[in-house]
Amino acid sequence: MSDPLAPFEPSARDPFDLAKVGHLLRRAGFAASLQTRRELVRAGLSAAIDHVAPPLGRVAPADALLQEAIAFGDIERVRAFRVWLALQSVHPLRERTSCFWHGHFATSNQKVLDPRAMALQMATFDRLGLGTFDELLLAMCRDPALLRWLDNDVNTARQPNENFARELFELFSLGRGNYSEQDVRQAARAFTGWHVRDGVFHFQPHLHDDGDKQLFGADGAFDGGDVVAAVVRRPESAQFLARRWLRFFVHPEPDDADVTALAACYEQSGRDIGTTLVRLLRSRLFFSAAAYRCKVKSPADFVVGTVRLLGASAAPASLAATMASLGETWLEPPSVEGWHGERAWLSPAAWLLRSNFVADLLAGRHGRLRPHPAVWFRGLDRPADRARAAALLLLDGELDEPGRAGLLAVAQAQAGADAATAAAAILHAAACLPEYQLC
Amino acid sequence: MTTCDRRSFLQLCSALPWLGGRSLGSWIPAGDDRVLLVLELLGGNDGLNTVIPVDDKGYAAARPKLQAVRQGAHALGDGTALHPALRALHRRIVGGEGAVLHGVGYDRPDRSHFRSRDIWHSADPALVRVEAKTTGWLGRAADLLAAASAGVPAAAVGGLEVPLMLRGRRATVPSLRRVEDFQWLSPTSAQPQPAGAPVRRIVDEPVAGTDARAHAAATARTAVQLADDLTAALQRYRPRAEYPDSALARDLQLAARLVVAGFGTRLLHVGFGGFDTHARQLPTHAGLLGQLDAALDAMLQDVTAHGHGDRVLVFVHSEFGRRVAENASQGTDHGAAAPVFAFGGGAAGARGPAPDLHRLDDGDLIATTDFRAVYADLLSWLGLDAAAVLDGGVLPAGLVSAPR
Repeated sequence: MSDPLAPFEPSARDPFDLAKVGHLLRRAGFAASLQTRRELVRAGLSAAIDHVAPPLGRVAPADALLQEAIAFGDIERVRAFRVWLALQSVHPLRERTSCFWHGHFATSNQKVLDPRAMALQMATFDRLGLGTFDELLLAMCRDPALLRWLDNDVNTARQPNENFARELFELFSLGRGNYSEQDVRQAARAFTGWHVRDGVFHFQPHLHDDGDKQLFGADGAFDGGDVVAAVVRRPESAQFLARRWLRFFVHPEPDDADVTALAACYEQSGRDIGTTLVRLLRSRLFFSAAAYRCKVKSPADFVVGTVRLLGASAAPASLAATMASLGETWLEPPSVEGWHGERAWLSPAAWLLRSNFVADLLAGRHGRLRPHPAVWFRGLDRPADRARAAALLLLDGELDEPGRAGLLAVAQAQAGADAATAAAAILHAAACLPEYQLC
Repeated sequence: MTTCDRRSFLQLCSALPWLGGRSLGSWIPAGDDRVLLVLELLGGNDGLNTVIPVDDKGYAAARPKLQAVRQGAHALGDGTALHPALRALHRRIVGGEGAVLHGVGYDRPDRSHFRSRDIWHSADPALVRVEAKTTGWLGRAADLLAAASAGVPAAAVGGLEVPLMLRGRRATVPSLRRVEDFQWLSPTSAQPQPAGAPVRRIVDEPVAGTDARAHAAATARTAVQLADDLTAALQRYRPRAEYPDSALARDLQLAARLVVAGFGTRLLHVGFGGFDTHARQLPTHAGLLGQLDAALDAMLQDVTAHGHGDRVLVFVHSEFGRRVAENASQGTDHGAAAPVFAFGGGAAGARGPAPDLHRLDDGDLIATTDFRAVYADLLSWLGLDAAAVLDGGVLPAGLVSAPR
């Protein structure tokens, strides 16, 4: 059997075209303008990968803005800062991967009630999210927001609390069925005294249970660091993470063989997340026909992506509010399980709100459009040309026949309208096509 | 004590004069329009502190701190009492307008919120993983209704997400958060309006398949229809009860509004979160149950005043109960079996053996009634084919072995 992670080799029959670039930018970032996409098609696959995942050292961190968001102590401001990062997409894969980890270690300010801690948790994802999982998981086990979220700040030798240990195994590292109730209880003891003081991690030796523990069949006076070291080495952890990454980046229901291949790649890389993900993004599997448009856009994909595709300028805080109304309130996931995603995003009410958001954006009710949509239609007077331009701008130029005919009908109905009205109506209709809900 | 199986819940409904003596299986009135609202307490409601076994010495022993709720609890007459905050719901139960069924759960209980919730939603304790093809029990019921009628057979109220419970194969189930969500805006007008013909053409294409694209297409079509019809229908409603000011009350009122508007909606889901009380449980739990009591009572008053009291049944459950012994943080950890409730629609009484605190499974209560037996009875009450919804006609009578 062929290796699903073998590099994708463009050919005359299966070229590296606008659809492939669009796919890469949607999955490894938050989409990009038609101009950028055209440039990347010309530059080729390797250049496109470098575009979504440049060397991290080359990218300036946004520390000043982070400090400002923290200084205000206002969760809305932190949220707007995160949306701003996605809009800028200086390092597309990093912004994307931080979203992945936010959904993975899903922590909500509704209980944490500490915007600073939430901002710092996200900054940890920015800093370590493409490094080794060993380092990231240990950082999360010492993360003030996460410790508070899962009650580890009341986990003591005399009064152990299992909440943190259970979710560590079930949701963060191993997955259900790959640990025992006994493992949960013993791990809870290992994390006793891992508390928070003055907003930073603080180990309290006198509250820590330093007795012998049995974990995954081994004995020892384990502490939290030992639990992390044991967990990341378990093959179930590689499988668990590989499935999560495939679901997020490639296909909502990955094949078991692909999971195994990606898990092996991750283990060979020394559990390096960035190396593993870049290998995945270059792969045949990633660019396969089955992966194209098989996922439902999240509200962030839809809102941030639409703004970037249209070149609109809209206030990050107002976009964050739109995302929240669509069911994705960053820094307030519905539970520690994160967002359910995929078709759970798309109910009729959500569809209408998405459509209305695009209508508002195109009408200038949601911020400015620069350039105005009519610019893209300049010189295009025939309805068929206008429909094609809209499909290129929003849909990779890839539409089936009913979609093409539907869009053409809208363009024909707008034949008598002025250029600006026609452009807005045609682009709105393109965003109402089922394909525009997919990524 | 005999096996407590599906008969228990049958008795629960038998107080209805119109049910007397008839067997449920053959009693399905024509043109039935009954409405089931599932109110889901999210996070694992502490059943033992909701329906309290006040007379059981084991209770006080297991809960030295949390037993404080016995003060002011409302007796049900079978050795149990309702939490002090459930004043109005207690009045309904003793007045013959509500029911408690003790000890509902399933074999080999799972203590994960998410997995246990998936089990309750899919009605499949063997479910491995939720996939695109996975359906929920109310979604499958909605499929049966969608085949027979127009309108919106099922809806999720309060959030934007449609829970697994309501996911079917055919029916596109909407979620309803605010009435104002259901309007269509165009880029050329700031006023809501019906979608124009060209856009209708785009969303009206026939839908085939079950992939993400088919889901998006079906959703778009339903959305544009609802934008026209739903808002108009909901305008007909005027409240006939005073609702408290809470998110749950707003959600339940919107559900009542949907029922009163006559939109053909027969299956509803409302979620109410916050029940994961690992620490300092007493004030949190009392607050949640107080909100539940006030909001649900108002909603039941409202639908009754509109003349729908007999056709609306509210079923209340959670993904699991909590451990019998309290933890060291004055809270409780994830457990297993717990009581469920039914209000309206003729449900009455307290049924099933009270939980046995002296026979535990790894510190948890043992279920005496399988939740699918309860579902089967609710489906029969709706006049639907329970066997078709609950897969292969495996009705669960006797599925849970007699614990005593």
